[in-house]
Parts: sequence; structure tokens; C-alpha cells
Amino acid sequence: MNFDLDTDQLDAAAGARQFFDGEAGPARARAALEGGPLAPGRPALAGIGFLGITVPEAAGGAGGSVLDLAVVAEQAGAVLAGPSLVTAARAAVLLADQPDLAAALADGSRAFCVVDGDHPALDAVGADTFLALVDGDLVVGGGDVVTGQPMDATRGLGVVTLTGTRVLVPDAAERWARARDVAVVALAAEDLGTAARAVEVGVGYAREREAFGRAIGSYQAVKHALVDAWVGVEQLRSLVWWAAWAADAAPGELPLAAASAGAFAAETLERAAETCIQVHGGTGFTWEHDAHLYWRRAKVDRLLLGDTAEHQDVVAGLVLAGALS
Amino acid sequence: MRTTTLTDERCHPVDFDDTPDEAAYRARVRAALAEHADELVHLDAGEEAADPREQEQALRRTQRVLAEAGLVGVAWAAEHGGQGGSLAQQAIVGQELARARVPSLINHIGIGMCGPTVIAHGTPEQHERYLARLLRADDVWCQLFSEPASGSDLAALRTTAVRDGEDWVVNGQKVWTTLAHVADFGILLARTDPGRPKHAGLTMFVLDMHAPGVTVRPLRQMGGQSDFNEVFLDDVRIPDGERLGEPGEGWRVALTTLLNERVAVGGGGNDLGLSVEALARLAADRLPGLPADRQVLARQALGRAAVAALANRYTGYRRLTAISQGGLPGPEASAGKLAGTAAAKLVADAGVRLLGDDAVFAVGPGDDDAGRWQRNQAWLPGIAIAGGTDEVLRNIVGERVLGLPPEPREDKHRPFHATGSRA
Repeated sequence: MNFDLDTDQLDAAAGARQFFDGEAGPARARAALEGGPLAPGRPALAGIGFLGITVPEAAGGAGGSVLDLAVVAEQAGAVLAGPSLVTAARAAVLLADQPDLAAALADGSRAFCVVDGDHPALDAVGADTFLALVDGDLVVGGGDVVTGQPMDATRGLGVVTLTGTRVLVPDAAERWARARDVAVVALAAEDLGTAARAVEVGVGYAREREAFGRAIGSYQAVKHALVDAWVGVEQLRSLVWWAAWAADAAPGELPLAAASAGAFAAETLERAAETCIQVHGGTGFTWEHDAHLYWRRAKVDRLLLGDTAEHQDVVAGLVLAGALS
Repeated sequence: MRTTTLTDERCHPVDFDDTPDEAAYRARVRAALAEHADELVHLDAGEEAADPREQEQALRRTQRVLAEAGLVGVAWAAEHGGQGGSLAQQAIVGQELARARVPSLINHIGIGMCGPTVIAHGTPEQHERYLARLLRADDVWCQLFSEPASGSDLAALRTTAVRDGEDWVVNGQKVWTTLAHVADFGILLARTDPGRPKHAGLTMFVLDMHAPGVTVRPLRQMGGQSDFNEVFLDDVRIPDGERLGEPGEGWRVALTTLLNERVAVGGGGNDLGLSVEALARLAADRLPGLPADRQVLARQALGRAAVAALANRYTGYRRLTAISQGGLPGPEASAGKLAGTAAAKLVADAGVRLLGDDAVFAVGPGDDDAGRWQRNQAWLPGIAIAGGTDEVLRNIVGERVLGLPPEPREDKHRPFHATGSRA
């Protein structure tokens, strides 16, 4: 048995971290709330190859695994990058036998958005090519996007009305389900990065800030809250890696692993972000501080691609059907 | 569906399957267990034999048979009576024993904690005297650490050992001592120098549990069973040759034990006796018979518990990978026990929701579902305390992993006798 990243993946994580630290960050996420552009934005993500990690090499992608993508997505989540790698991962599955469209995904010449009925769609803002499941068929087309008051502007949420669609793949329900599972894994990977960063920021402050004559992180009330958040992050990391691995190596395990990761990610990120605010006290709920940006991501992501209760119900159904026996 | 050549060329990709060597080893283990099946105790989790004395003898026999088949101390060095195998092989044996419904080895504390401490700090004579017999359960071991006035604050313990010629004379009381009622030996932490600060005045010994002056009184736990004991030590003489490590080095020796304890209890994603597979079987039996509104709640509890249990299990796989690649078990094992405890609570809660009224009215200690899950509930509060309380484990993770400052410990540097504690 071996359950750890390989050296290529560790290198990819280090490279991605360097890229994202330079191209994005909480300040850009805050600016996006006031109308600023997404950072790094699609062209930069396409330029470094992150939109094509799981696109086949023949279509101009890297031909990597979902775990390769998850490792990069974690770093994207740490700096609240937009647009998401969730859409890139999901579209790559949907476009598996569409080399031209897959190439356009990888090189950024088209801006994709995947639509789930009338739910607000991730990365709808600025998208020009929309994928959806209509009557069991995978369709592609244009769309009219209505944006609301964004809770987290980096997610580019919009309600999409499809226009001028054509059938790309008939009877695509199975592929759609797999793509959605892969998207849940990528979302959980981004949430892992965000949660880990929120805990790191909280820990850093608790080591420095003094009250009643000593660092607040020495008090068990503060220390234990941070530890619980950190333990959650490490448990989530295991589920994300397992689910991402399963996507390629054990597709039969993917539904259980993806739903587990999705359920755990939403709660873990929420706890991490809320703990980060609480540890910062009065500073923690100011506009200037970064804490609310992690919190905003948490509050949006927990409702994307199914909430915790839905994921738990999927897990329960699979367990009842013998997934653990 | 797409090329995986990139992955194929890589070193050490993720892989949960046995390597060919591991698969061959697993087959050998399975064959050995089948061959000796008639000589082994078989029990379902939560099941107990009617006569504890009979059960003890049967468990000792079981461990001896397994030891003779080379299935105990798998990862211990051959010079210590072990098989010189890998941790992966040891994990395989654990999985196969569970599969064959062979319960925990009676000497699990000896193997998990006392033995590694003797190996790390004992003399060659002590290795010779104790280790092979420990692996065969010829001697069962216990760990004499906690006291009525020092649980989490172990270094504040008051049991004294005073040098008298070639012996040490021990007086004091230990408590929460698992297996003391059947043990032949124990590792004993005692205060040998009250004039030094509390951590610096301790020494570790091997205690003969049959020596004059050792009195063991079983403690009944809240679930009704008696795994724990009080141990009274009245003028017990221990020869100096039974000392483990140097006088005053007892704390350092104890840290070896405690680290191994955390690994044994929580390090490998252990389910702490509350298995999600057992919950899944209960759910398959019971859920379809529940009223529709109760089904919704039970499904949610089942899903939540399964997710927590899987997160704990896969985190355990990461730790096992790290340890098998030469990493030392570290404070992360404390995080593993915290998460395992939290998952166990969710599993038990889901079981109760599935059982409904039966969870309350079980007449048990039979081996029916309801009795088993009722016992599970009564076992839970102890899980969050035994082997390191949740609070102490959070301090360990907060300070050693996250680098948060410790709380002031005003007694840490003062001589023990000046701290208000009486040795």
C-alpha cells in the first residue's frame, strides 16, 4: 500500500503555489467583490496549463490524472483563485471524445460553464460556451447569464438560460454523473486549500496576539478550536486524495469517495473559516481583514454541487447498497 | 479512458492494493489462520465469553498459537523474538485476524506499549528475559502509570521508589490499569527523587505483578465490565536489575510508551471497536423497517458516520505510509485518536437511531444487536479519556504540530516536594 503524493505531484504543488501566490490572493478576491476582475483569470490559468491538466495530450492538455488536478486545485483554493478548476475538471470529462472543444478548454479560447438546471452555475460570469444535460443528452450552446449580488465574487455565479443548444452526446447520463463526481472532488480540493490557509492564518495570529499577559494561542479555549479545525483539514485531505485517486484508478469507488469528500469539505471549510474569524476577535469581522473572504468562499461552496445533507444521503444510499461490504 | 503512461512511469503512485510480495504474505497468513482455526478463539466484536477466567486462558492459548505460527511481533526485530517483517506485513496480519474474527491479542498492551519500551530502554538481559515470553503470552503485561491524583498530569505522580541496598522499595497506588488483574508483569513509573522538578525525579521499573505487597482490585466500568483495576503497592521490593533506563530518566522512557500507545490506539485509523461495517449491516437490517420520517433521520446519521469513519480510515493509511517509509510516529498520532473518537461517537449515534427503542430496552449482555450497541454507547465516554483525554491530545497537537505556545506550567521547574503535591 502507498497513500501519499508522488514526487511529480509534490513538484506540481510547489509550482502551483508559486504561480498562485503571484497571480491571486485575498486582496484580489476583495477587489472582485467591488467589481474588480477575477484573478488569475482564464487566460493566465490557460497559459500555465491548469485548465487542461486532465485534457488528453492529443487535445493539447497534460493528460494528467484527477489527483494531479486536485493537487493544483488545493493551491488555487488557498488564494481564492478564479475561475475555478472545478469547471475545468468537469468539462474535461464531458468533452472526453470532443477533441476540438477539449482543446478550446485547455487553451482558453472558449470559456466554459457547466449548468445544473436553474441552480446558480459556477464560473458563469464571462463564459461563452455552456454545457448541460437536457433530456438525458449532453448539449452545448450559448447562454444568457443573470448575476446577483455575489456573496463570493470569485465563484462567478450566475443563473443561466441556455440559447441555441445542440446535442453533443446523446444518452450521456452516465458521463454526466461521472463528471459531476469529478467536479465534487475538485471543489473539495479547492476547499481543502482554503480551509488549510484559514487555519494557518488563525494559528499565526494566535501565536502573536497577546491578551491577559500572554499569547492567546496558549489558552486552551483558543488552542483547541484551532486544533479541531486543523484535524478536520487533515482528515479532509485524506478523503480528497482518495476520491481523486478513485476517479482514475477505481471508478467504482468514485461515487462513495466523491460524496464523502463533498460532505466533509463543506463542513470542514465552514469550521475553519469561522474559527479564523473568531480567533481574530474584532479584527476578524472587518472588511479589511482577509478572514471574511475565506468565510464567503465557505458559505457559497457549501451549497454548490449538492450540500452536506445531500452528499450524506448519497453515502447512506451507497452504504445500504453494500458499498462497504 | 485516457492514457495513464505518465502515472505508470512515476515512482510510488498511490496504490491501495497489495504488492505481489504483500499478496503472497497475505495468502500465507490466511493459510496459517485456516490451519490453526480450531486452536483459536473466535468472537464477534462486542461479544464476550461467559466465564472470564476461561476466556483469559483461551486468549493466552490463542496468542501462543499465533506466535508459534509467526504472526505475533511481525515487525519486531528477530533478535527480540519478532519476525523482522515490515509494518505493512503487521497491518496485513491485523486485517486477517479481524477477518477471521480472532479478537484482540490478550497481550496487546505488552505488544503495543510495554514491549517497545523494554526494547528501547532495556538491557540485553532484560530483552532476553522478557520479550519472547511476552510475544507468546507466557507473561501478560500491563502499564502502571496513572494514579488517583495524576491522570492527564502524569508527571505529578506520587508513588515512590526508595533505594534500599540492591532493591528499590515501592509504595503508592495506581489506577485505571488495564489487564492488571491478569498481568504477570507491568512497567511502573515511580518517583525516586522528590527534590527534583517533577519530570526529572522519575524512574521506570519492570514490576513483577505476583510480588509480595502488590494488591489488584478490579474496577467496574460504567458499562458493567471490569477491564480496569486499582493496584496498591505496599513495600514492594524491586531489584535494581529491573530498572528500565537510568534513575531520573523515567519521563523520557515513559514518552516512548505514550507515543506507542497513541499509535496503537489511534495511529492507524483504528475504529476503536465501533466498526462502520457493523453499522452498515445493522442499517441494512433495520432501516427498511423504520417509519418513513425516521428513515430520513437514520439515513443522515448513517451518512455522517460513514463519512467520518472513512476520513479516519484513509488518514490512517496516510500515517501508515509515512511510518512504513521510515517516518517516526509523531504527534500526528494524537490527531488520529481525536478523529477516531469523534468518528466512533457518530457511528454509535447512528446505531442508536437505527435501533430506536431497542437501544434502550436491550436486556443484554447477549450477543444480539441491541445489547451490543447498548454496550457500545456505554463504552464511548471512556474512549475520549483512556489513552490520553481529548483535551490533552488537543494540547499536544496544538503545541507540537501547530506551534502554539504552551499554557504556563508553574510547577514545571520547581522541586516536586515544593509544589504542594505530597509524594
